[in-house]
Amino acid sequence: MLQVTNVSKTFNTPSGPVHALKDVSLTVQTGEFVSIIGKSGSGKSTLLSILGALDTPSEGTITVDETSIEKLSGHAQTKYRGHKIGFVFQQYNLIPNLTAIENVMLALEFGGYPAASREDRAAKLLESVGLDEEQQKRRPTRLSGGQQQRVSIARALANDPAYILADEPTGNLDSATGKKVFDLLHDLSRNQNTTVIVVTHDLEIAGKTDRTFTLIDGKITT
Amino acid sequence: MNVLTRGVKNALRSPLRSGAIVLMFAISIALILSMLVARSSVQSKINEVKATAGTNITIRPAGVMGGMGGGDPLTAAQLATIKSTANISSTTLTLTDQLGTDDTELESSQELGAFGQRQMRFETSETTTEGTGAIPAEGATERPAPTPRITVTGTNDANSVSTDGSDLNITSGATIDASSNGLVALVGSTLATKNNLVIGDTFTAYGSTVTVSGIYTTDNAFQDSGIIIPLTTLQTLTEQADVVNSVIATVNSSDNVATAVTSLKTSLGDDADITSDSESAAASVESLESISSLALAGVIGASIAGAAIVLLAMVMVVRERRREIGVMKAVGGTDAKVVGQFTIEGLTLTLIGTVIGIGLGVLVSGPMTTSLVSSQDSSTTTATATQTGPGSRPAGGPGGFSGGIEQINTNLTQVTASLTPQVFATALGLTFLIAIIGSAVPAWLTARVRPAEVLRTE
Repeated sequence: MLQVTNVSKTFNTPSGPVHALKDVSLTVQTGEFVSIIGKSGSGKSTLLSILGALDTPSEGTITVDETSIEKLSGHAQTKYRGHKIGFVFQQYNLIPNLTAIENVMLALEFGGYPAASREDRAAKLLESVGLDEEQQKRRPTRLSGGQQQRVSIARALANDPAYILADEPTGNLDSATGKKVFDLLHDLSRNQNTTVIVVTHDLEIAGKTDRTFTLIDGKITT
Repeated sequence: MNVLTRGVKNALRSPLRSGAIVLMFAISIALILSMLVARSSVQSKINEVKATAGTNITIRPAGVMGGMGGGDPLTAAQLATIKSTANISSTTLTLTDQLGTDDTELESSQELGAFGQRQMRFETSETTTEGTGAIPAEGATERPAPTPRITVTGTNDANSVSTDGSDLNITSGATIDASSNGLVALVGSTLATKNNLVIGDTFTAYGSTVTVSGIYTTDNAFQDSGIIIPLTTLQTLTEQADVVNSVIATVNSSDNVATAVTSLKTSLGDDADITSDSESAAASVESLESISSLALAGVIGASIAGAAIVLLAMVMVVRERRREIGVMKAVGGTDAKVVGQFTIEGLTLTLIGTVIGIGLGVLVSGPMTTSLVSSQDSSTTTATATQTGPGSRPAGGPGGFSGGIEQINTNLTQVTASLTPQVFATALGLTFLIAIIGSAVPAWLTARVRPAEVLRTE
């Protein structure tokens, strides 16, 4: 279970403090597929970053499976990200110098997966998201947007995370490809009991999730 | 794929940029190695010259110019002062004189030469015309050319006449007992030939009969036309009891030469010209010292340039790939693994640059050292000329250790560049240091990258 309690986040900028999140509280049960919607600048991505321990809250607590992640050391947060969280980004964020399979193997290496079986594991994950052997050996620049996002999802799944945090996963994809990616995430939640939290501004996608949280000016309204 | 292979692979991901970085770094390394080799070789030469210089001090009456005279001889009191000076272990005394036609029946083996010709004068009742080649005026009378004299050296050590400081080369007969007062002589080879002198022959000098004990030869034509006799004998024959016109004082240790020179200059004052071979050697190697300093500056400059190249290249790489660093950290990459990868990238470029740079350095270090030394050749020659000028005996005068100094000056530019294991180790150490400095700052920058900031802002 993931529990957010009274979380606020303030950024100090040259033009003064910006309150990205204001007293946000929410709870997500294990295996749930939830969405967070809101306009640009409403604090969606900031909340996702805090949930994934990429950033720390200015106030409040985030408890994940009975562990307060904001109190973890930098190294422990890195381990948390490597083992418990899988990120899917709007811009895919694949390492350009590595092939598709190497990108997935990188996450396996960071997660402490045995070196001997990394390649097999990565190949199976990529197959499961629909990339064939030839496509697995391509660098990101030689893959379509949809294929890159599939690689990103395979990388997110590499270490069997309990939580998938997806930031606008279909934002750069056409509607057909976006639907396939969404279905992939949906299957994860349904079949593998993985908790999926999707940040989106697409109300159609949000409507298909179990629950939807709406952020307006850094506050949860529903 | 692990941190190591990923680091190496990433270092070569952009061949053009990596090639440029490696090339610049290699040039720095080559320059470092070349300058180290030059410095080491020149320093060896300096040490060799200083070691060769020995511990001798020459004391002459102020203003004396070898056999040309000038100045008052050193007196018995001055000799006593010299001998009693601290750290002086022995002294070689020399008195020189010229045998004229009134003093001996021997004929000089020295040719008058162009210099002698200049002594000729063509005189008229009204004007005097000087110089060789001048057309004598009508009615002018030719003055007789001067007869070359024979240099006689009285010494308490016959070997001191040797031009290169080694034992005198006796070609026949035996050397003389220079500490005696016997009427015996060593005759120079050309003088002996000119006068058909052989061992056991006698000749007249200053009204006394002197027996030829041996015939010597040197590499100096002037020396080979002279006569060497015991010091006391010459002092007696020329009625110059207890005086000399040259003293070579040997100091007990090279560390004490400067002190002894200072003491002698204080005690003898302006009455004597005092020079030491270590001073002469030090003056001779001044140009090499400047090359050594230049090489050291080169090493420091090239090291800074090398470090700057690696540093700036890696800073550029890190700044360019902040997003990649952020993503790696977001997907579970620890600081150690991410920093390790970027450090290996830097070290890979450094290693390739080092291998190429050392190869290049080995090739250019010899010519560069030669070029550096040659560029100082003219100033060295000037220094050499100065050493044989005032305060030293003229060319052709009695030898002594100044011949050794001349030998040193001749070989001063013959510096052999050699890459010793010590120089190689120093170059590698500097390269390692550069790599560490060049990678440390980028590593620090990498560790500071916060994934959220990167993913939010880019």
